[in-house]
Amino acid sequence: MTARRLLPALAVGLVATLLARRAAAQDPRLARLEPGTRALVAALVDSARAAGLPAEPLVQRALEGATKRAPGDRIVAAVRRLGADLGRAREILGSAASLAELEAGAAALRAGAAPAVLAELRRTRRQPLTVPLAVLADLVASGVPADSAATAVLALAATARDADLVEFRRAVERDIALGAPPAAAASVRLNAAAREARPGPP
Amino acid sequence: MFEGGRDVVDQIVARLRRPVRIDPSLDARVMERIAALATPRRASSLAAAWRWLTEPRHVALSPLGGLAVAAGLVALALLFPTLARRPSPTIRDLQFVLVAPQATTVSLIGDFNDWDAARTPMRLARGSGAEWTAVVPLSPGRYRYAFLVNGSLWLADPAAPAALDNDYGDGSSVVTVAGS
Repeated sequence: MTARRLLPALAVGLVATLLARRAAAQDPRLARLEPGTRALVAALVDSARAAGLPAEPLVQRALEGATKRAPGDRIVAAVRRLGADLGRAREILGSAASLAELEAGAAALRAGAAPAVLAELRRTRRQPLTVPLAVLADLVASGVPADSAATAVLALAATARDADLVEFRRAVERDIALGAPPAAAASVRLNAAAREARPGPP
Repeated sequence: MFEGGRDVVDQIVARLRRPVRIDPSLDARVMERIAALATPRRASSLAAAWRWLTEPRHVALSPLGGLAVAAGLVALALLFPTLARRPSPTIRDLQFVLVAPQATTVSLIGDFNDWDAARTPMRLARGSGAEWTAVVPLSPGRYRYAFLVNGSLWLADPAAPAALDNDYGDGSSVVTVAGS
């Protein structure tokens, strides 16, 4: 093939790629938003994609706002804030973090977890961090202070399976529902888990 | 022309063995003709590279060579187990339940169905009269969701953690699907 034939083919390929990127940026699901809001959200989603951040959580946050009939500026603010949270989570967890880890990391940061806690989790746990981070955020949502929740999750995360962490959270929530102070509930359940993990005298 | 028998053959052989006289200027004339021919355009390096990339090639591999390649692939898979065991997401069926005696319709909406009320209508459990259920397959991760009752009333799941990252005021809940 000569260069004369190759160049138009390359140009067509380039244009097709650009159009595909543009079409991908303008997710058809965003048609549920008002035109002005849609343009701003699409720009935010596009920016996130360009920065290597996952776009799907941003689309979902916008769609949630659309379904809840939230005002456009509120939707844009929510998407922008989530994008910033995802960016912070990726800075801490590293570029190899999965989409689920980034989402859970963003939720943990929003719940008040210190960046150092996320970094320590990444260092100590070999399995995915999605569930420990989600459990951390859920414990805070249940009323457990962020520091206590972080201490508990850090203590368990190195060795516990995902299912153990979810069960730990459920146990804490049951205790809180029965009237235990949230911090005390987390502490008591953590001690119980430590006793179970440590082989002791019969 | 020839006088029969063996003499004829000898004469033919003698004639064929006689050297042919060649015009001494033949070489020069041939080269002159070649020089007069149009020189083909030389393909650009880009086109040559493209041709090199697109032209099919035949690869010959001996049985021993094939075994060596297979052994190399196995060694790679053993050295990098993540390549061999790419984690496949475990999909789990999760049941969502809402007790709503006054409801006529309930929809489950969340990050897993584009917050689309039409996608996951909940069904009234047989015989309960008030228990609405839906089963959704989910891969490991954290999902935000809510119930939409009678098409207009938002409800967070009273049996699940609340979503702190709740940007729109109405309550949402969180479900975490464990992977291990």
